[in-house]
Amino acid sequence: MTRYLLRRAGFYALAAWVALTLNFLVPRLMPGDPASVMFARFQGELDPEAIDALRETFGLTDAPLWQQYFSYLAHVAQGDFGTSVVYFPAPVSEVIGSGLMWTVFLAGIAVVLAFVIGSTLGALSAWWRGGFLDSLAPPILSFIGAFPYFWLAMAAAWLFGFELGWFPVRHAYGLDIEPGFHLAFFGSVLKHAFLPALTMVVVALGGWLLSMRNVMLGTLGEDFVNYAQARGLSKRRILVHYAARNALLPNVAGFGMALGFVLSGALLTEIVFSYPGQGYLLIQAVRGQDYPLMQGIFLTITFAVLGANWLVDLLTALLDPRTR
Amino acid sequence: MFPLLFTLLGCAPAPKADPGVVTVLQEQQATWIRNFNPLLTTGGTRWPTRSGIYEPLLIFNGATGEWTPWLAEAWSWSDDGMALTFDLRDDVLWSDGETFAADDVVATFHLLRDNSSLDLGGLWGFVESVEAPDADTVVVSFQRRYSPGLADIAHQPIVPEHIWSQVEDPSTWANPDPVATGPFTEINVFRSQVFELGKNPNYWQEGLPHVDALRFPAVGSNEQAAWSIVQGEVDWAGTFIPAIERVYVGRDPEHHKYWFPQTGGMVFLYPNTTKPPLDNADVRKALSMALDRELIVNVAMYGYTQPANPTGMSDSYADWRDPAAEAIGAEWMTYNPEGAAAALDAAGWTLRDDGVRYNSAGEPLELSLSVVSGWSDWVRAAQVASRNLEAVGVRCNVKSRDFSAWFDSLGRGDFDLSIAWSEEGSTPYGLYKGLLSAKAVEPVGEPAIRNWHRYPDPNADALLAAFEDATEEALQHQAINALQMRFVTEAPALPLFPNPSWGEYNTTRFVGWPSADNPYARLSPNLTPDPLLVMTRIMPRENRVATQ
Repeated sequence: MTRYLLRRAGFYALAAWVALTLNFLVPRLMPGDPASVMFARFQGELDPEAIDALRETFGLTDAPLWQQYFSYLAHVAQGDFGTSVVYFPAPVSEVIGSGLMWTVFLAGIAVVLAFVIGSTLGALSAWWRGGFLDSLAPPILSFIGAFPYFWLAMAAAWLFGFELGWFPVRHAYGLDIEPGFHLAFFGSVLKHAFLPALTMVVVALGGWLLSMRNVMLGTLGEDFVNYAQARGLSKRRILVHYAARNALLPNVAGFGMALGFVLSGALLTEIVFSYPGQGYLLIQAVRGQDYPLMQGIFLTITFAVLGANWLVDLLTALLDPRTR
Repeated sequence: MFPLLFTLLGCAPAPKADPGVVTVLQEQQATWIRNFNPLLTTGGTRWPTRSGIYEPLLIFNGATGEWTPWLAEAWSWSDDGMALTFDLRDDVLWSDGETFAADDVVATFHLLRDNSSLDLGGLWGFVESVEAPDADTVVVSFQRRYSPGLADIAHQPIVPEHIWSQVEDPSTWANPDPVATGPFTEINVFRSQVFELGKNPNYWQEGLPHVDALRFPAVGSNEQAAWSIVQGEVDWAGTFIPAIERVYVGRDPEHHKYWFPQTGGMVFLYPNTTKPPLDNADVRKALSMALDRELIVNVAMYGYTQPANPTGMSDSYADWRDPAAEAIGAEWMTYNPEGAAAALDAAGWTLRDDGVRYNSAGEPLELSLSVVSGWSDWVRAAQVASRNLEAVGVRCNVKSRDFSAWFDSLGRGDFDLSIAWSEEGSTPYGLYKGLLSAKAVEPVGEPAIRNWHRYPDPNADALLAAFEDATEEALQHQAINALQMRFVTEAPALPLFPNPSWGEYNTTRFVGWPSADNPYARLSPNLTPDPLLVMTRIMPRENRVATQ
């Protein structure tokens, strides 16, 4: 067990290093530099001479790449991601901090809901295979899941938010509500999260449902399920404790992955719904060639994915003796 | 589960905006970062730090073409044109109650001198010294006669010496709680989604502003911005909205108004004049005649603008246009495919059966047209232009590239034709400097900051120097007249259309906005420093109708 965990830890350390290095290299292979991008955003309003002032402001250096690399590693080790260019002079950690919580909240809720609802529907579909639910839910949800997410989110925002006015279409909470520990704030947060979370859940449901249903169908044919039926156990007990519990294992591994991608997955949602999260920051960073901010965001995403997988590894090691 | 959720949400109180608070949409950001440092470029700094919280000495009113006295009551050039004197108002207080004086102005310019990264206008390239002979007078001495410097100096936001002398590094300071002279200086609320600027308790223009506060919701995308404007949540905005008559005005014709004057920068099609046959003025003119600019503005700009004036000057320089130059330019700026074909024939490019022109050496006339991918208005303009050129026998491929790659190749002269912007300012000096100056031409491969098409006009630099030299308007006009004449005879670049200055307003809650009928200033909040003129004039509508 310990050896297994150590081996995995070594693997994750290596993966983290590769990610750090790629993270450093990739943005620097892009043509252009942040100062000229910033300058160009003004489309002639800014004096052309300003470009030198901008370069100096952002501390762009011509130091050799390896030198930049080592100072980058040293800074990252201290948790210092540098200063953002787009949000100059705010430090990257502060900029990321402003969006991180909302992304984790929104995408976290959406992933958990999609997983729970999808798996439940999948289990039920398999249980009543060929029934009403089984013939309706999988095709409809797969159909919805096949829409381009961007389009679906825009359509939902337009219909329920703009035309019908049932839900707010932007922001994480009402502009007039002071954030704090009170009911009005929580109500507002839920109301604002509803539409973005709904679109994320709806497109993800199909995947969870199908994988759960398919595994469950196999499990239902197993001997131990027949045995349980022969013993005269209640249907509910067989469904939940015998079949679903076993069928859930592959989905748990998938859940780990999905949780890891939470930080990046909400990108489109946040853009469509003007939700103050990581995804929108990433777009801003890429547009402005803001290397420090891009690196900071990619690193949070990378570490989240690695961390989630590490947790799943631990969980699998506990649940399944064969992996040890 | 859903019904429960609905009941729960039902008890959240409906938000009600304060009646005196103007909601403004200018920057597109999903999150606000607290930064009110007026010496940094906008983008990092929250709008309206540079013109709203802080104020300049004078304001050039782009709508009237005149200088409006602001922190300075009067200004004058010395007789030798080597010094600029500003008489400051003596009734101005900083928002913390301290008195505004000449030392603050001097200190501001010294901050730029000592931190070259803050000197965005390159002021200290022509300024010799800034001094205060007494508490209400500032004298700026020049290294050489340079009249365009007036705008750079007069528009510099002035910061208080008693605060900024304590700041360790002004180029990285976020100035979270600004002390300033402007109409709105108090940060009532600052959250990642919204912030609100309250009135300056000590504002020098008594009784102003008429409104209590400005409020800025963070909106991250153009669609979201358009929605909130259309829904009437916003009082003042500078956003592009497609089909605005139907989408916005049609929803409430009485209150929903917009004004898109064509006073933005001119968009040009730049030919790389180092590459034959684009080094030939007749060929450039022929290409220009082939362009159907009416179609281009209708397709690319939804008809929000008009074909360019032949002088290349947008409406903000309407007073500078010379009718003689306009007449000459009109010959190659008017859509005339037959004329284009004839001119190309004369230049030795003959049409073959495949519909393409070839020179005597048998080389086809083939040009690529670079444009930024994702800048959809320019991409559409490029597509129409390329079809126009194909029609007269020029093989033209639209090459859309990622912004950085495009800008890099533009600067280095690695393109045939490219759509790009031109310089803006209070006079057309910068525009023609970019279009004609031989001094600005860099060798191909070296990044150029202006004159990307690399056209070295032999006379232009002398004329530009004459403009720099001239502190009198009549002499400046003479120089610009000569420059525009050079432009229309040589056609170094092909003007396409002026950008509109986007501006929408809603009179449900507030009135007094500038408009085509009442053009006391330019409406668009995207301009600097014009918004100061607007935010001190708007006022709550009397007998306000309950709209919530």
